[in-house]
Amino acid sequence: MAFTGNFMPTSFKSEILRGVHNFATGGNTFKLALYTNSASFTAATTAYTASNEVGNSGSYTAGGGTLTKAGVATSGTTAYTDFSDISFTSATITARGALIYNDTATGDPACAVLDFGSDKTSTSGTFTVQFPTPGATTAILRIA
Amino acid sequence: MFTGEGLIGSPFVVTSNNGGHSPEAIAELCVNRLIQISDKAHPTLRDQAHAFRDQMLKVVVHYVKMAMEEDRATMCAKIREAGFPDLASNLRRL
Repeated sequence: MAFTGNFMPTSFKSEILRGVHNFATGGNTFKLALYTNSASFTAATTAYTASNEVGNSGSYTAGGGTLTKAGVATSGTTAYTDFSDISFTSATITARGALIYNDTATGDPACAVLDFGSDKTSTSGTFTVQFPTPGATTAILRIA
Repeated sequence: MFTGEGLIGSPFVVTSNNGGHSPEAIAELCVNRLIQISDKAHPTLRDQAHAFRDQMLKVVVHYVKMAMEEDRATMCAKIREAGFPDLASNLRRL
């Protein structure tokens, strides 16, 4: 099944309330893995999977890249977090979406499924995922 | 009424072929982080914001190119100092 938009898995919402994830600077390590259009993520997704992950190429290796956290902030009544852009260089990759997961917590629990809208391809080049402007209505992960 | 929900922003993907990103692509990434224009903004404000964004993009492209040229000039100087003048000349012409 193809990607169906950006969403938080149900398990992630539960894990927030149980204090599993720490997005603060110095907190947990989060990673971003890239997937082909054959990946099948739903609200029931709970953890990182190597199934349908793109292959190793250039600086991309199984499990994806480590995200640089920008900490946690608030604006009005909304709390949000942000990451620096992540790039995979000298890589030949075709990816339809990505999974952000917690590499520190036991079992690599999933945090967010990202849908790129269409296949994105780099050929012996750079594949960059840019996160939106951090703010109450735009940041990558928000609790309003 | 109070409401609460978890929300996800939309990522933006940029790719390149046979090399790294162009100065224009890097400038686009930069400007994306500096200004975000809502589709729901008043048309007059939205048009002004887009005009400002276009101007900002031109300025950032200019300085990204300048940074690349200056960095390359420094690299050429170091390579020339190390005794490889031909390599330095070829790198400068890129």
